[in-house]
Amino acid sequence: MIEINGLVKQYGLQPVLRGVNLHIKAGEFVTLVGSNGAGKSTLLRIVATLLKPTSGTVKIGGWHLGRNSHRVRRHIGLVSHQTLLYSDLTAAENLHFFARLYQLDDAEERVENALREVGLFARQRDPVGTFSRGMKQRLTIARATLHEPDVLLLDEPYTGLDQDAAALLDNLLRRESANGRTILMITHDLVHGLNICHRAAILSRGKIMREVDSSSIDAHQFLEIYTDLTRSKKKNSKKAQVNGR
Amino acid sequence: MTTQHATAAPAEKKMTQSFSRSVWAIVWKDLQIEKHTRQTMSVMIMYALVTVIMFNFALEQDLDAARRVATGLLWATILLAGTLGLSRSMSLERENQTIDALLIAPIDRRAVYAAKVISVSIFTFLLEAVLVFIFIIFFNKPFYYPLVLLALFLGTIGYVAAGVLITSMTIQARSREVLLPILLLPITLPVVLLAATAVSEAITGQPEMSIISSTLSLVLAFDLTILAAGFLTFPLVLES
Repeated sequence: MIEINGLVKQYGLQPVLRGVNLHIKAGEFVTLVGSNGAGKSTLLRIVATLLKPTSGTVKIGGWHLGRNSHRVRRHIGLVSHQTLLYSDLTAAENLHFFARLYQLDDAEERVENALREVGLFARQRDPVGTFSRGMKQRLTIARATLHEPDVLLLDEPYTGLDQDAAALLDNLLRRESANGRTILMITHDLVHGLNICHRAAILSRGKIMREVDSSSIDAHQFLEIYTDLTRSKKKNSKKAQVNGR
Repeated sequence: MTTQHATAAPAEKKMTQSFSRSVWAIVWKDLQIEKHTRQTMSVMIMYALVTVIMFNFALEQDLDAARRVATGLLWATILLAGTLGLSRSMSLERENQTIDALLIAPIDRRAVYAAKVISVSIFTFLLEAVLVFIFIIFFNKPFYYPLVLLALFLGTIGYVAAGVLITSMTIQARSREVLLPILLLPITLPVVLLAATAVSEAITGQPEMSIISSTLSLVLAFDLTILAAGFLTFPLVLES
């Protein structure tokens, strides 16, 4: 469903992604982890058609991004740590706006169902600005899945959520995955990320350094692999600094 | 060839419908937000009121002078109050990064530009309706003449069309509040001067039609040029 090949992104002379290769099958849930500045968000923004890569290709459902971004966008849902919702509009008005934007025919029914599914039907007439972080994030999921996208992209969706809200989000994501959506999630929370996905990938130094099947590894082992990879990165950068001197 | 035309026509019609539906969706959203918050209109009208009252008091001793500068004052007020409206319109899309939601939607990005021009124009026209009423009271001049209203309409379109483009360029800049007037006012000065000339001539009661038609033609040309530039460059501006 998602094919990323030799993806490179540079900001000026600063390389952020140095040839990322990642293939995600239809219906698969992949978690991408990495330290700060590893390029996770940049990668997700490229897949979401918000950024253009310096080189390399991304295909979604066989369509090349760039040439066919307009076609692909209808099949993508994005949940970021920002809600992408209008605080001054009510929950229902927000969803109605996105239903209009995606030109959904049965908007009324879809909005009502989406609000019920995320448990916000009773608060549909309240402005989003009055919602808690957890409620906003649930509404964000409703917004991102309103048009029933094939691909769901999640950028640090657990940021700022308490345990209850995180558990609720877990359930929502499991249901989306069970519905056959292809999910690519970025997170700092390694244990959480590993538990919920089918496959986890570690992005370091702008490359995918390791991919593991979540059923074949426990959280402790995964943490060790991750620490080794990020530690060796720090060691290398220190070495480079010393050599530079 | 005939078959090609027959299939192309419905596709074109569908694209146009899709474009206008996207534009309307964004305009509806902006109006809905304004209905809830009333922030844009209240700030614009308050600013305009204070400016007009201040000038009126300052020129109280010389009513003739006040009437002579009324047109300039009207446009200066629209220009500066309009900057507040423009700034608010795009800052809406910065809050919670909703601009990303617009960018990942399967819509023609030019629809965002068209929608923003329409919604800011609506707010500015409402402001002008209030201003015209106040100016008639304070300066006793016929600002309600159709030619005056036409000049206000055309001048506003040009000003807003340029304003939306420049505001979107500065949306991610840290010093955007400073950058917006610095970039916008010099660019829109020609259209405002021309529109002000047309208004000055129109309120005389016996206007020189050649002056009005030539100035309004130039304003219209400016409007079309800036709208075309906006439609062509707005997707690139958003992507960068």
